[in-house]
Amino acid sequence: MREIGFSTGAIALDDYKQALRYLALLPTRAIELSALRFKELRPLVSALADLDLKKYTYISMHVPSLFSAQEEVELVSLLNEVPSSWALIVHPDAIHNCELWRSLSSRVAIENMDRRKNCGRTANELSKYFEMLPNAKFCFDIGHARQFDPSMAEAYTILTAFSERLVQVHVSEVDAQSRHAVITYAAELAFREVAHLIPEHVPLILESRVSAEEIERELLKVADVFANHSLETVAC
Amino acid sequence: MSALAELETRLGADWRNLLQAHKNAEETLETFTEAVKDVTTSDASIIVFGSLARFELTPGSDIDWTLLLDGPSDPRHHHVSRKIASAVRTLVDKDVGREGTFGSLVSSHDLVNYIGGEGDTNSNTTRRNLLLLESRCIGNDDAYNRVKRNLLQRYLSEDSGLWRREVTNKLPHFLLNDMARYWRTMTVDYAYKERTRGGAGIPLRNIKLGLSRKLIYVSGLLACYTCHLNFEDAMGREKFYSQQNTAGLVAKLHETLKMYPLELIASVLSKFPQHSSATKQLFDTYDRFVGMLLDENTRSGLEKLHSDNCANDATYQEARTLRREFQHALSTIFLEKTSLLGEFTIRYGVF
Repeated sequence: MREIGFSTGAIALDDYKQALRYLALLPTRAIELSALRFKELRPLVSALADLDLKKYTYISMHVPSLFSAQEEVELVSLLNEVPSSWALIVHPDAIHNCELWRSLSSRVAIENMDRRKNCGRTANELSKYFEMLPNAKFCFDIGHARQFDPSMAEAYTILTAFSERLVQVHVSEVDAQSRHAVITYAAELAFREVAHLIPEHVPLILESRVSAEEIERELLKVADVFANHSLETVAC
Repeated sequence: MSALAELETRLGADWRNLLQAHKNAEETLETFTEAVKDVTTSDASIIVFGSLARFELTPGSDIDWTLLLDGPSDPRHHHVSRKIASAVRTLVDKDVGREGTFGSLVSSHDLVNYIGGEGDTNSNTTRRNLLLLESRCIGNDDAYNRVKRNLLQRYLSEDSGLWRREVTNKLPHFLLNDMARYWRTMTVDYAYKERTRGGAGIPLRNIKLGLSRKLIYVSGLLACYTCHLNFEDAMGREKFYSQQNTAGLVAKLHETLKMYPLELIASVLSKFPQHSSATKQLFDTYDRFVGMLLDENTRSGLEKLHSDNCANDATYQEARTLRREFQHALSTIFLEKTSLLGEFTIRYGVF
């Protein structure tokens, strides 16, 4: 059974407590705690002990997407306080000093980027980061991959190149302005093209910007798109 | 080492003219890239076609180009286009073709959405096929790669036979038929140009039709054949095609089509040692043809030659001989039904 959950940032921005309340009654067992801005990280890390996360079998944390080289030292130090079983999702273009991140070893999960960025979008571009962080895992953002290449060929190349590292998948529509949005029919069709390459044990984390009322419908939509596929059914 | 250079060594051949034309193209691409380095974006790519894209640049070559747009409209694209035209004029003193197919802005929409049907004009067919078979990108290649992959996505996802289990020859018929159609379009357009323009230039056009134009069709056929050939064994192929795997096939074919035509042909034919002799003849002949074009006097003579004077022109007759030898090599490789390439070509490339 595949785990599907939400990023707290997608449903309540920096108000992770509100997001947890929205998700409390839903049968989701995967979650990503989001601290996309540097100033959000310390309060979130400080509050971890008080959060009720018992129902979740998979938890990850999205680390800030922008920080200075000075802030990076403090940030990595804070991340050492996060439970070691959680994946730490990082945008590759945010990294200043790879040496610092290497200390977090396989807890770091590099995410592929959208087309606004000039790095981390393709398998070739990502491989440079994995050379610098050889133990790092991989968070595949299928919306970013589709925005970069709607044919999904690059998504295929990325998924086959980094299948061993894949730890979670971000799912959402990513529009022309690189904003996360509700998944459209065209996106559903595109996601189905590579759904078979995502193993059943890899959790899906939704980043669709939805209202509280739309959460369940979006979860069901994604469950349907990624249902009945497994890596074993097709060759890479 | 390129597949072409490897093949040259293995066959004990000497294709120095191809090497020279390749160097010419590399130098021009470098200069061109420098001249337009600040004009491309993720939504707009400069594409060159013709001999420059085939890495067969000779002194009299022109430069066919388009600004391929795959994103929001921007009235300033017109100015970008003028800047590119100006950069091209510093590289060659020839204008782009008279048909209006090149030297302008091209939107990805028509290329991707109008394959066949009333909207698929002659220019659209030409641009689409050349984008796949004979193009290079200058500067930012995001839009270029995106459009090429979207085109392939259409051909491959809408090819129902390709994904049927009982079909064992995995050839993309929709794509192959469009490439065959384009080849025939070029032959028909040759007749049209002979009628409307007549006289000078037609003899050289005739030679090019039988050599460089035919070459890109050959590379297109072989690219299609790689959809069947590029697997370690039959089991690997069967597994790959066991369910609709369009994204995977687009990725593979896109990689194949990154090769320029001569390189693509060399990379595939090198896997068929039984055709070594004909393969050598194919490239030897093509090398001599490029050698003729590298000689400015020879090329100039052919360009000025009037169709009424062909019979007595020694250079033209020499080029005709090359054309015949090239055809002979192709017939040996592609029309011999006992070989796999022959079987595919007779069954899918002809009927």
